[in-house]
Amino acid sequence: MSAVLQLDTVTRIHGEGETEVHALKSVTFAAHDGELVAVMGPSGSGKSTLLTLAGGLDAPTSGTVSVEGTDLATLGQKGRARMRRTSIGYVFQDFNLIPALTAAENVALPLELDGVGTRQARALARVALGEVGIAELADRFPDNMSGGQQQRVAIARAVVGERRLILADEPTGALDTETGEEILRLLRSRCDAGAAGVLVTHEARHAAWADRVVFLRDGVIVDETGADRVEALVDSGATR
Amino acid sequence: MTNPLGAWRLPLRIARRDALRHRGRSLLTLVMIALPVLAVTTADVLMQTSNVSGVESIDRRMGSAEALVSVQQGVDDVEQSPDPDGAFGTSGGDGESPLVTAEQVSAVLGGARLLEIREGEAEVRTDKGAVTAGLTEVELKDPLTRGLYDLTSGRWPQDAGEVVVNEALVTRGYQIGETLDRPGAGHVDPVIVGIAESTTTRDFPVAAGPVGAFGLDDETSRSWLVDGDPVSWETVRELNAIGATVASRAVITDPPPVSEWPDSVQASAGVDDATMAVLVLIVVMALIEVVLLAGPAFAVGARKQQRSLALMSASGGTPVQSRRVVIGSAVVLGSVAAVLGVGLGIVLGRLLVPAVQSRSGEYLGPFEVPWQHLAGVAGFGMLSAFLAAVVPAYLASRQDVVAVLAGRRGDRAPSYKSPLLGLVLLGAGIAGSVVGATGGGEIMIAASAIPAVLGMILLIPLVLAGLGRLGGRLPLVLRYAVRDAARHRTRTVPAVAAVAATVAGVVALGIGVTSDEAENRETYTASMVDGVGVLTGYETPAWSSYRAVVAQEAPDAEVTDQLGLAETAPDGGFSDTDVRVPGLDYLLDSSGSSLGATILVSDDRLPYGLLGVAEGDVARAEEVLRSGGMVAFTSPGIEVDATEAKLVRETYAPDGGESTSKATATVPTEFVELEKPWAGPAAVVSTAAAAELGVEPAVVALVIGKDQLSKDQEEAIDEALGGVDLNASLYVERGYQADDETVIAQLILVGLGGLLMLGGTLTATFLALSDARPDLATLSAVGASPRTRRGVAAAYAVVVGFVGALLGAAVGFVPGIAVSRPLTSQNYGNIAPDGTAQFNSGPFLDVPWLMILGLVVALPLLTAAVVGAFARSRLPLVARLD
Amino acid sequence: MSVRQALLALLEEGPMYGYQLRSEFERRTGATWPLNVGQVYTTLTRLERDGLVTESGADGEGHVIYEVTEAGRDEVATWFTTPVARTTPPRDELAIKLALAVTVPGVDVGTVIQQQRSATISALQDYTRLKRDRRDTTPGDLAWTLVLDSLIFNAEAEVRWLDHCEARLRRAALESPAAPLTTSADAEERTAR
Repeated sequence: MSAVLQLDTVTRIHGEGETEVHALKSVTFAAHDGELVAVMGPSGSGKSTLLTLAGGLDAPTSGTVSVEGTDLATLGQKGRARMRRTSIGYVFQDFNLIPALTAAENVALPLELDGVGTRQARALARVALGEVGIAELADRFPDNMSGGQQQRVAIARAVVGERRLILADEPTGALDTETGEEILRLLRSRCDAGAAGVLVTHEARHAAWADRVVFLRDGVIVDETGADRVEALVDSGATR
Repeated sequence: MTNPLGAWRLPLRIARRDALRHRGRSLLTLVMIALPVLAVTTADVLMQTSNVSGVESIDRRMGSAEALVSVQQGVDDVEQSPDPDGAFGTSGGDGESPLVTAEQVSAVLGGARLLEIREGEAEVRTDKGAVTAGLTEVELKDPLTRGLYDLTSGRWPQDAGEVVVNEALVTRGYQIGETLDRPGAGHVDPVIVGIAESTTTRDFPVAAGPVGAFGLDDETSRSWLVDGDPVSWETVRELNAIGATVASRAVITDPPPVSEWPDSVQASAGVDDATMAVLVLIVVMALIEVVLLAGPAFAVGARKQQRSLALMSASGGTPVQSRRVVIGSAVVLGSVAAVLGVGLGIVLGRLLVPAVQSRSGEYLGPFEVPWQHLAGVAGFGMLSAFLAAVVPAYLASRQDVVAVLAGRRGDRAPSYKSPLLGLVLLGAGIAGSVVGATGGGEIMIAASAIPAVLGMILLIPLVLAGLGRLGGRLPLVLRYAVRDAARHRTRTVPAVAAVAATVAGVVALGIGVTSDEAENRETYTASMVDGVGVLTGYETPAWSSYRAVVAQEAPDAEVTDQLGLAETAPDGGFSDTDVRVPGLDYLLDSSGSSLGATILVSDDRLPYGLLGVAEGDVARAEEVLRSGGMVAFTSPGIEVDATEAKLVRETYAPDGGESTSKATATVPTEFVELEKPWAGPAAVVSTAAAAELGVEPAVVALVIGKDQLSKDQEEAIDEALGGVDLNASLYVERGYQADDETVIAQLILVGLGGLLMLGGTLTATFLALSDARPDLATLSAVGASPRTRRGVAAAYAVVVGFVGALLGAAVGFVPGIAVSRPLTSQNYGNIAPDGTAQFNSGPFLDVPWLMILGLVVALPLLTAAVVGAFARSRLPLVARLD
Repeated sequence: MSVRQALLALLEEGPMYGYQLRSEFERRTGATWPLNVGQVYTTLTRLERDGLVTESGADGEGHVIYEVTEAGRDEVATWFTTPVARTTPPRDELAIKLALAVTVPGVDVGTVIQQQRSATISALQDYTRLKRDRRDTTPGDLAWTLVLDSLIFNAEAEVRWLDHCEARLRRAALESPAAPLTTSADAEERTAR
């Protein structure tokens, strides 16, 4: 078991001078394979910043962010984009899908962007959709799907092509509790199958699906639950 | 990317689906690009169709013959291009060599049969007077002539006493069985036995008959139709060598390579640089306009796609891939628009052919679709779509992914670099205009309008940002519109720029046209006092019959005879009388026979209708006339210190050459300095002075009193005179008359400008409204009335239209004023006493303020009214992102 | 919670003896509230006294079988249709602890809150883990997950209440900086400046 995502004393400052805002202060954080980590905190605590840094959409002011052992700072813009195609999957709160593409095409998107042939990408996308239980919706457009179905597609897109890191930003925010739970169950099972997951949420009930819950306050990690269990796993070298 | 085309598959798929999802916006963009393509295609198809090419006209020129050979007296060597009518050739000879004979031509052609064809023109009497008709003498029964004429009724002529005429002569009163009536003596008038249409001309009167039917001569030139084998280029060159010009069916159809052409005609094969420059300028200008008109649509499209693009980024898409999605929509819409525009243009062109034919005097060629041109036109459409999408695509690829995903919107702060570059470009444009105005010429000015307009576009964001800051005191809807326009620069800038570019063009051309008009007005030289009419004749004027015509059409008009020294004689000879004073090269810059002759005769009063003679000079002038002297006029500024002048009269035979007689007389003279230049007489002499010169004064004109002829009467007299004597003409001074074409040009300018402005503003406004749906939903949620939406729409139109028009007018002034200088300055090569070139007149500058006011104030308000009237007043209740 | 009504409700499904009743109750509520056999029999005796159940004989092994009477059925119906009263809130140790922590000087309320939150979330994770291993395949499973959900939502409510307390305390600290109330986050913020 190793850290798929590793943040090492990461600080991120937005703005300058008067309007300077410390979004993250010396945060050290890791997500290992097979592990789902929840990041909790009120608005403005730096949760989302952590996620954008992890995905290489933003760069830290200081400190290093590594995904699968690669320091993102050493990669250029193109290299980080390639990382997102091959290693990192994003799931957002809502409007996750490109309206002009069908479910299967949305899932195939990272593959196609990576140069995989249309036919092959489509086939892999159908498999991924099958894994999240909506193979029959492959040719529907997002407009004709429920919110829960759209989030399933988003998760399928986040894992397609054997990506190891799933970054989810309030993925159940726009759903009712029952549907939201299904999405969390799905996320959980992807992690059980070996991926590392980071779930940003402000709801304890959702965070409880994680192996570990990290509390962020004003850009600082103030507490953490379930760490002992993970350490136990690490110690025993157990794999799932 | 393994496969370069594969990299485009995904962007194109997204673009195609997106175009289908947003049909309204797609349609708008499509129309913006397809319309110019359609217009150009239609025009091109019609031009190519009405333009009869060399190959198409072979039958019209030579019937079913193999070649048409022409020779001219004095020419013994010809250099021609394969189609002698297509480009100029040269011919050489000493002018003395005898006319090439049919035998000589036939010998070169290996004994081929030749059919002589003679062409000429002559007056033919008609019911109303006479018309000029084209005459052809050729044996029409010969099958070689098939294709020259189509017999519609009657039969072909059998002998030299019979001819056929075309419909144009039939409508002027001729019928089968009548004789063709030609004025003058020495003709045998042939009988019309058939009606045949020329395959070339439709409304020009034409008659044809066998050789001898019209008595056309063959002393200076001859032509033959050639029967037999095709005439090769080698044979053509051999015929050239004996002085014949050849139009060969075989050579025209399949021309030899340019390298085989004679050197002197090779140069004419290319297009000259100036034409090319103008063409490039027009294409660039049109491209800018189309790009700007389509720009807002792509900007809004990119905005609507920004979440999709951000998601693509989050899924690992690179900026290049984001850009491709936006450009992809340009490729999709551009190609559809191009194909649609060209297709519909061809159809429209086909439908318009009959309408064009009915207005054209010549028969059009076969319907023609110039595919090569149209490929270029379609390419132009695609290119304009591509260019319109470039900036939105670039901005979209640079967007802040995190902000977009977090649901924040708004463009990035404007950079300081682009307005700076804008200032530089604007400066360069102005500098270019100034250089052009002071000697660089019109093309230079037009070319420098391009950087000026581009510079202005780069400055628009700055202007909008400034307006947004100043807008705090405006009423709500206007303030909202100004701020929104400033915030969403990517869609506002192209819209404002489209309006501005249009207005700049209209203002520049408007200033040019009105200044040109001002020059015409200012430099107009009246021939005589306003309202006076003058009737003049030529060679053998029949004054009594003229007077009868005037009396019949305008019984109340006062007609007086004007005496003068006649300048033409019944035998066709002419004379010229000059006033000379020792030591002076000339007395008058310009003089003319507007009152019948350059020298008028009077023994007491100055002739009626003279213009520009000061009151104080009249008594002095009449005094000298009464005492048997003469009055000589001098140009303004020329004062003569003399008491007598010399009259010199030279008479010439009809064929010119040296004068046959010369008479002189020195006469006591009063010199009268004119107030302004004119086209009037050089002098008025007394009968005594004329007698001294040995000339009997004659009536040279009939003068009709001031304001005694209405326009209708003038036209009636004109028409009636045509029947009496083709040489008689009536001129009534009515002051400067604005050219109809100028007025039409101004109207077209305003109309076109208004249309483009309306189009630009409307697209931008409706796109802005669709883009602002969430904001409008918020407005409605806080209790804005449905009218507010109309108000916002109208206010947005005002902002776009007004800012664009103001900027455009400002920028348009530069090339406008610049172009008015070379356009309105005339230099006849005069050198001032200090040795510098002197402008005879100009430059003139007249700014069409009313038109500019209309563009800047009235049109934006009109557009706003249209927008306000057609905007949906229902506010959207749900803010929906997509 | 009323054992009395719960047993009556179970008996409505059919006659049962005491031990049967206990295991059925625990199966449905997931051993959340353990019930000893003595308590079951005491309750049954009282129910019989009040005429809500009657003995209906014994099975082969000598267990006394009870069945519900008409009056008993009425009582069950009334129980299901009457909402649970919230008139007397259960004594909440956490609320009392926080109320005291805020007023007693020298206590770091922020730490108290964060520790409690961690503990509650750990519990929440345990509940969730229990839940995620099960699928609602039988009505009994469904009943069990619903009880689990009740615990989950209660715990979540507690976390949210803790979040709210924290936010209130921070605001109070910002509004009167001289006040003795401190939270750990505040302290850190101050050192950061």
